[in-house]
Amino acid sequence: MTQDFGRRTFFGGAAALAAAGLLDHVPGAAPRAAQAQTARTGTLKIALLGLDTSDPHRHTGSISVQQVYAEALTSIADDGKAIPYLAESWTISPDGKVYTFKIRQGVKFHNGREMTAADVKANAERVRDLRRGWLAAPMQLVSGFAAPDARTFVMEMKEPYGPLLNVLSELWIVAPESPGWAATVQTPICTGPFKFGTWVPNERLVAPAHDAYWQAGLPKVAAVEFNLRDTVDYTLALRAGDLHIARAMAEHIPVLKADPNIEIQYMKDTSWIFWSFNNRKPRAPFDNVKVREAIAYAMDKPALLKVWSGEAGVATNQMAAPGNFYWDEALHKADKHAKPDRAKALAMLKAEGVDPARTPLRIVSWQNDYSQACAQTMRELGFQVEHLALDDIGAQRRLGQYDWDLAPFGSGPRADIFLRYVRLLSDGPNTVLWGSPQDAGFDDLVKKAVAAVDLDQRRAFYLQAWRHAMDKYWTVVVGHSAEAIANRRDVSGWTPGFTWGSARVDGGAGYASLVRGS
Amino acid sequence: MQASFAAAKPASKATAFRAEIAAYAILGAVALLALLGPTLSGLDPMTQSVGGSHAGPGAAHWLGQDHLGRDIFTRLAVGARLTMTVALASTATAILFGAVLGLLAVVAGRWAEWPVFGAFDLVRAMPSILLAMTLLVALGPGVPSVTLAIGIAFAPTFAYVARAAWMRETSAGYVAAANVMGSPPLTTLVRHIAPNILGAIVTQAAIVIPRAITTESVLSFFGIGVSPGTPTWGRMIADAVKYVERAPLAALVPVLALSMVTLAFALLGDRLRLRWDPLRKGIAS
Repeated sequence: MTQDFGRRTFFGGAAALAAAGLLDHVPGAAPRAAQAQTARTGTLKIALLGLDTSDPHRHTGSISVQQVYAEALTSIADDGKAIPYLAESWTISPDGKVYTFKIRQGVKFHNGREMTAADVKANAERVRDLRRGWLAAPMQLVSGFAAPDARTFVMEMKEPYGPLLNVLSELWIVAPESPGWAATVQTPICTGPFKFGTWVPNERLVAPAHDAYWQAGLPKVAAVEFNLRDTVDYTLALRAGDLHIARAMAEHIPVLKADPNIEIQYMKDTSWIFWSFNNRKPRAPFDNVKVREAIAYAMDKPALLKVWSGEAGVATNQMAAPGNFYWDEALHKADKHAKPDRAKALAMLKAEGVDPARTPLRIVSWQNDYSQACAQTMRELGFQVEHLALDDIGAQRRLGQYDWDLAPFGSGPRADIFLRYVRLLSDGPNTVLWGSPQDAGFDDLVKKAVAAVDLDQRRAFYLQAWRHAMDKYWTVVVGHSAEAIANRRDVSGWTPGFTWGSARVDGGAGYASLVRGS
Repeated sequence: MQASFAAAKPASKATAFRAEIAAYAILGAVALLALLGPTLSGLDPMTQSVGGSHAGPGAAHWLGQDHLGRDIFTRLAVGARLTMTVALASTATAILFGAVLGLLAVVAGRWAEWPVFGAFDLVRAMPSILLAMTLLVALGPGVPSVTLAIGIAFAPTFAYVARAAWMRETSAGYVAAANVMGSPPLTTLVRHIAPNILGAIVTQAAIVIPRAITTESVLSFFGIGVSPGTPTWGRMIADAVKYVERAPLAALVPVLALSMVTLAFALLGDRLRLRWDPLRKGIAS
């Protein structure tokens, strides 16, 4: 009975959402002033990723929390394209250097003040001056910002920068009067469907609804509460109803699927899974590209993917997942390491004069089964394996010491393919998971790709850069996996987006409602 | 009342005897498992077979396979070796750091006793798990590091037991006689006192060993003990607990083994204490 009720409500809610919600917010649609809200009920309880900082401009990694209170000029649609958000529309000059944004009218900050183009300019300038995070690279290319009137924001670049609209989806607009603006914002006053509320680091963030939110009828719940604890297994909390939405690890999916009150949905972009070598200070014999190639021949991609993601993985040899615009089928078909060939790996090692039994190999990884599978592959080749399995911060710190040889890791969805390539750039952010290569040739190709106005030309440069990285065996891709998010069926209107973000212009926490007072 | 008390006493003796036999039987079985298990199964405890993930017991895999397709029986057997090795070696380390160093400090005089026992007090002030965790962060993971960390964590227990025994024995007539004969303090300690306090140390060891086993298991469970993949029982439990609803055997087997061995050592410790503790000597035998 409960299940039937839930289903009817779910589909009814989805239909209502399509009629009254989504259709109002398609790109270019006129904004509506916030109208009398229907009664918001319940607190939506979510557990996805953590929240490292209260300052929206200071993050560098995957984030899933701050989207509920902070919004940006653009949002990422399910197909990965940038769509209007706080910018109602935009134009790009023919030379690809001048972006003119029409700022949405009637958008109010959490303190009730209306957002203007001057606020957007102040945020862009702050991010540029901070010189950190995803936007550090494009901000170096900016020749000027302007806000000629309250609804126009102009961004002029020194050279064309292809990923700009997508990366602007993480230029969070914060009211300059937010406490801490001059140093670190402590209580961000933004425009999102929920307010910053109460933050207890590594424990919870409680974000009450923003009554004057610019999207009419949203949000639908009275508050969201994020569980920020570093918990791996949320299955019991989900099944007990203590959480409504949570990350579902591959090993827990079968149990969650068996529960009629829970459904599994997948994020639209994928995580990519790889083995990286120490490229900054490689130790012998792993400084030999033929030795790296030999090790790649031992990689059993299907088995590794099964360990990482259960049945949700697809093997390939590229940063982009099959079906993505930046993925290349010919390159995929030519993958020499699609199937493991241990005999060839051993023969190549012998040809290079490497006796694995006398060769120490240090692996640094997270504490997961995937890294154990990688370590065992190396043991079976005969190497003297030392496996250091650490938590995220510990692993990154140890990787930064560059006294290791192999690092099996994965990295989550990103708003643009550039945000994957940036990890291999000589001056990229958080490059340790990829062994921090420094190669002017690769940097130059990526620079050409981002400067290319023509999409096909951009794709060609990116692929050229990736082939360059593949030839050097910096990072060997195992494949891609869709990240699973589980939600209780008494949550209506929730869908995961392209990235980890818990809210966006056309979906997420703002659209979610709870049935039967759950 | 008197009659029933008298009737209960022989039953208690019999129970204690049966408990001792059970303890020896359990430890003997674990020793056999550790020695012969891998040979009997003929399998490598590290070999993975993702296709066999969570497979149930069968002819090839007597206790089934874990999430990575590894043979649970073989891992249990090799785990018995590692777990017992760590437990015994860390207890020996604790005796070395605690009893030996403590006795030498006591013999040397107050100038040595004060700083050494001050250090032991500092160590004792921290919970053993927390101290072992802190040491492991400094030493890095691995069997030797875990052994050393647990050994240091339990050293104060032996130091205080040894000092109490020393103080008791030094007031005995045979020590006074040795002193009158001009025996140097160290000679008195090694030749006369040490053999007499050995019983207290062994009794304490029997109590510490199961604690060392559980400490190793907890450290491995937290992922900071031995390196991943190493089949200690703690690691096996940590790995299997994620899948306990779907494949309970992979978690239950090491949990049962750990419980049985801990119980066996606890029973043995009780028995040895009854037999060798001078204050309780004669109650059990």
